[in-house]
Amino acid sequence: MASLSLKKITAVWIYTILILFVLAILMGITMRFTQGKTISVSPIEFYLLMTTHGVTMIGIWAAAGIVAVNYLLARYIKVSTSLNVFALVFTVISILMLWASTFIGKFHAGWTFLYPLPFHIAWETWATPMFLWSLMVLSVSWFIWTLGSMVQILKKYSLRQSFAIQHISKKSPSVETPPLVLISMVSLLGMVVCFIAAIILLALLLAEYYSAGKFVNDPLLIKNLTFFFGHTIANEALYLGLATLYELLPEVSGRPKFKTTWYVALGWNCAIIFILGAFFHHLYMDFVQPKGFQIFGQIASYFATIPSVVVTIISIVTLLYNNKIKWSLVNLLFFIGLMGWIIGGIGAVIDATISNNIILHNTLWVPAHFHTYNVMGNVLFSLAFFVWVANEFSDNNDLQKYNKLVMPLLMVGGFGFVLMFYWAGAYSVPRRFAMYPSELSSGTALASAAAWFACIYLVGVLLVLFDVLKKCAKVFSSSSH
Amino acid sequence: MRKSFFFFIALVVFSNVVLCNTNGLYSFSEEEKLFKPIANIEIATAEGEISLSDLYDKSPIILVLVFTRCTGICSPLLSNVKENIRQQQTNEKYKVLVLSFDSSDSISGMLQLAKRYNLDEDKQWIFATTDRIEALNASVGFNPVWDSTSQQFDHEALVVGVNGNGYIVKKLNGLRASSDFRSLIKEINSEFVLSYPLPRKNMLFSCFTYDPATGKKKISVGMLVMLLPVVLTLLVVAGLATIKRKPNE
Ligand code: HEM
Repeated sequence: MASLSLKKITAVWIYTILILFVLAILMGITMRFTQGKTISVSPIEFYLLMTTHGVTMIGIWAAAGIVAVNYLLARYIKVSTSLNVFALVFTVISILMLWASTFIGKFHAGWTFLYPLPFHIAWETWATPMFLWSLMVLSVSWFIWTLGSMVQILKKYSLRQSFAIQHISKKSPSVETPPLVLISMVSLLGMVVCFIAAIILLALLLAEYYSAGKFVNDPLLIKNLTFFFGHTIANEALYLGLATLYELLPEVSGRPKFKTTWYVALGWNCAIIFILGAFFHHLYMDFVQPKGFQIFGQIASYFATIPSVVVTIISIVTLLYNNKIKWSLVNLLFFIGLMGWIIGGIGAVIDATISNNIILHNTLWVPAHFHTYNVMGNVLFSLAFFVWVANEFSDNNDLQKYNKLVMPLLMVGGFGFVLMFYWAGAYSVPRRFAMYPSELSSGTALASAAAWFACIYLVGVLLVLFDVLKKCAKVFSSSSH
Repeated sequence: MRKSFFFFIALVVFSNVVLCNTNGLYSFSEEEKLFKPIANIEIATAEGEISLSDLYDKSPIILVLVFTRCTGICSPLLSNVKENIRQQQTNEKYKVLVLSFDSSDSISGMLQLAKRYNLDEDKQWIFATTDRIEALNASVGFNPVWDSTSQQFDHEALVVGVNGNGYIVKKLNGLRASSDFRSLIKEINSEFVLSYPLPRKNMLFSCFTYDPATGKKKISVGMLVMLLPVVLTLLVVAGLATIKRKPNE
């Protein structure tokens, strides 16, 4: 069970994540209103908002996943509180550096900071190294955080057991691996790989920066490493969200816990390779990339979804079908999150098919699918955890009266917001345009509508935030262990 | 022994200086003057005097630099350009301007040259001379050198792509394949053309090595760097496997 210190650090993480979330949503709304010509910000301001919004969002929801599984893993293993404190301190330092590089230094090369953009200085000269160092601080500290979490698991389970290999070969093995442990292990391993990729990537970029032209990078290598890191972290964050769902959904629905079966174990183990290989689909347009990688990218993108999606859907259907479920905000958030995750996943698979990518590449279809499985998928998984844990901290499952409004607000706002992205994407409106030219006037109208939908979503988030923050505060006045 | 050593060093230094000079003369770089405007000179054609902008304002130009007395590369170059242009089945609009860089050439000599290649009736081809060849040469980075012994210009085989705004967007040096002309035509028509920087000396972790002599590329150390995260993780996991367990904790 979670110790008081673990509860306290989890509460601080929740405060940090939710506050940053609201600020990042406000940046997103500003961008969408700008594209819709309802308000006007300069192109530089638009792109620095886009850069800050992208890194912040990816960062906080990856963090939310690690925080949630760390908290829940305390049911099975001893979790290190100091590791979580360490990660929080360095995350805050890194975010301050990042925001300084964008808001003060005006760095605005996008969250993928694609090479050689960071070296075409169109901002304060110090902003490029500051941005790169901020990500280096984050990558190194999160590498330690995720590796440390794996070490904690391996103090109780052997390597084989932690990946539930015994479930593949035996029907009822002597040691059972809970799904939470298996999925956490798979996702943490993926995160370790992607943070190593990030450290190598940032070291190469910093080496070029400080060598003053004596050393230059190969754009192909840098792009591969960028998406090895970027794609993987965004996806592993989702899988951590799923780990939380596997642990909590049956419990809050009044159903027996999920068990690891042979197909769950096999599915998740296969997913490791496919999740790590799927990033190649970001390089379809790079003609110098070896053809084999392109084909592997498409196959991996298809197969990455099969184990996790199919296995999860089977598990959830067996949980819900013909059973009386006690519906609450927590399991509704999980359930709608699952829908959002699947819809976004289908959008992703459509885009990851080479023949479609030729048309959809760099259109708003791309933000459409990743916003769907984030805004209406992973974010809802993590909000479900936050609501559940806040109830636990306050010993109070009561929902405020206005909480009845939360789900309608999140659903109308969230799905409406992403629908505008899909619609514009289907009309080939390009992504990352601060303003749309007159030829793309449909993009302008859809952007405006999207911004209003996002405002509705924000109100839903604020309702959750007030409830969660109030309940989390209780943990600081509590003295029981 | 020592004498021959110094002689050897002197030879190396001398040959380097000579080679470097020659390299300076023929800067075979296809990047020099790229994306710079071409000199807007007056040219004499069969139809009379026009300025270069009269041409590129209407359609992009492929500029071929030759001289009629050439006993060297000019003939193979013209044949090569003619053959490659014939092979292109495209709808793009462009003109091929064959311009003499020898001030002693006359327009009638150039028209005879056109006839020899059966291009005198072809409206896509324009044969011309100019009084301002130095300005044009300087703007495209072309440096022919007159050799009084052979009574010939020492020069490279250069084809220059000029877009509709009068900017040099591609240069082809030497006799080239049809695919190079394909991308030249696309480039002057402002269509997207795939390009990638070649490996350089200071690019330590290049994904490929490229041999200009054979035109072959091979996978190189950069690809291994891509695998590094996976290899390092496997090592980390191997390390983790040795952790002492306390199953009952
Ligand atoms: C309601 C909430 C949100 C709003 C209003 C919003 C809005 C936007 C907008 C307008 C863009 C720029 C789109 C373009 O290319 O034109 C964008 C990009 C992006 N967003 Fe969001 N977003 C929201 C939530 C999220 C969430 C939850 C995540 C991730 C977990 C996220 C991650 C990103 C990323 C990675 C980019 C790309 C940035 C780049 O291209 O550099 N967003 N968002």
